[in-house]
Amino acid sequence: MIRYKLRTKVILYAVLIVLSVITLFPLLWAVSASLRTDKELFQYTVPFTYHTIIPVEPTFASYVQLFTQFNFLQPLVNTLVLVVILIPLGCLINSIAAFAFATFNFRLKNLLYAIVLASFMIPFEAIAMPLYNVVDGMGLVDTWAGLVLPAIASGLVLFLFTQFFKDIPPSLVEAGRIDGANLAQIFFRIIMPSSIPVFITAGLMIFMDQWNAYLWPLLVARSKNVQTIQIALSSFKMERQTLWSCMYAGTMVSALIPLSLFLPFQKYFVQGVISSGVKG
Amino acid sequence: MNIDVRKRKMIPYLMILPALALILLFKIYPIARTLLESFWVGGSVTLKTWATLLHDATFWNAFWITIKLNLVMIPVQVIVSFCLALLVNANLKGIGGFRTIYFLPFTISLTVATIVWSLMFNTNNGILNSLLAFVGIPPQRFLVDKNQALWCIVVIASWKGCGYWMMFFLAGLKNIDVSIYESARIDGAGFLTTVSRITIPLIKRVSLFVLVANTTANVLLFVPMQMVTQGGPQGSTNVLMYEAYKSAFKYADRARSSAIVTVLLMIIVVVCIFQFKLLQGKQDGGAEA
Repeated sequence: MIRYKLRTKVILYAVLIVLSVITLFPLLWAVSASLRTDKELFQYTVPFTYHTIIPVEPTFASYVQLFTQFNFLQPLVNTLVLVVILIPLGCLINSIAAFAFATFNFRLKNLLYAIVLASFMIPFEAIAMPLYNVVDGMGLVDTWAGLVLPAIASGLVLFLFTQFFKDIPPSLVEAGRIDGANLAQIFFRIIMPSSIPVFITAGLMIFMDQWNAYLWPLLVARSKNVQTIQIALSSFKMERQTLWSCMYAGTMVSALIPLSLFLPFQKYFVQGVISSGVKG
Repeated sequence: MNIDVRKRKMIPYLMILPALALILLFKIYPIARTLLESFWVGGSVTLKTWATLLHDATFWNAFWITIKLNLVMIPVQVIVSFCLALLVNANLKGIGGFRTIYFLPFTISLTVATIVWSLMFNTNNGILNSLLAFVGIPPQRFLVDKNQALWCIVVIASWKGCGYWMMFFLAGLKNIDVSIYESARIDGAGFLTTVSRITIPLIKRVSLFVLVANTTANVLLFVPMQMVTQGGPQGSTNVLMYEAYKSAFKYADRARSSAIVTVLLMIIVVVCIFQFKLLQGKQDGGAEA
């Protein structure tokens, strides 16, 4: 184990703390600003004093306004519905395909798997416009299907499952076969329960992708009844330039759910991040 | 019996069918369209779109802004993330907490990051000008200044991204055997020598991934431009990706849009080849020493 001199330790901690302040400042500032009225927010900006940072009279008014006056509940619920549909669907379809890739040998397997790998290296921005035309041609613009269908199959999630399933000992599948279980039973009763971590990671990846998605919902989900949270936030910013506290409150509402999932599941998040780089 | 065997052979195909069909329809087919659409106007093959594009001053302006932005943003993010990873790889009490903090902005969307930072950058009521005034620096115009806006976007994207890229480097650093550092120290190697001669060559694979993925993400970055600057002030943040977005959805010119996206993909490929060569050179140098 490497040990540090006291002086080195002090310097390292100082650097770590300064960087933490830089990282956290915008978030803490947004929390503080969301709890003030616009008047108070502007009044104390210059000159810089204690009250520039700390609210004089903290209030939840802008949060209330956001939900009562600007109907933020709808996009919030929409986005929740979207992830509730997509997480099980995405996990199921990708994991079943991954199980086939990991356990069977069949003709064209390598070619088909190469297509999967190629698909996750294509940046979404590069296909967004033609994809819009595909979805438009199917008459799915401004529908739930338009948001859901293109997002179900994910090369990255499929790859993640395949890597995991490859490491499951074949004896586990064999044992199931000897007991007379069919393939579906083997998958749902043996493989799935022993792969819970990878399902959590995959679920989180799908969640993050959808919750923070911007370009696709911007193009395809324009009407209020399918609008997602990021788009609601962005159009609020463009339409109501002056309502700062509400904007801050909106960003907090949008950030709160991913943050509250991140802290308990950090391990799985990092796993998901790293595994996407394993191939690199 | 025979039928049963044939049925059995079909099973893997049936299992991959839903996923594969969706990938082909929603990923592979659109990328093929992107690459072909710019050559296909009004039912015939033509180079007209490209000829017009290459004589278009707006395109070239956007092209150079994209290059300028990325020449700064990619090295900044990669170097900062690498240094962060070295830092949080230190064997200190509570280091896990710092790791969590630096990774935190990754969980927040670029939309949120853009809004919060754009309010902080505000000329009249922004907190940053207030902090600058506190240390005696006159107020800056940030996102509404044509010389500063692009660099403000670098700040926003880097604040959100560096912790994320740090995690890959950290995973690479964790794979390095500690005993290698020990022997380097016994040989009298200083910190910088150790990093450049041992650490960097040993995490080549991870570095390459970060470079490629970071390049892809940054070259295609457009959320802050679409949300805040709309390519301005005076076209100073009008990157190619935003120009492609506008071509398709404001001017309804799909051929131009896909030609621009094709240019972007070519930029990414060229940069990645360059990075690949650079890193390969590094490792050879390290091996010789």
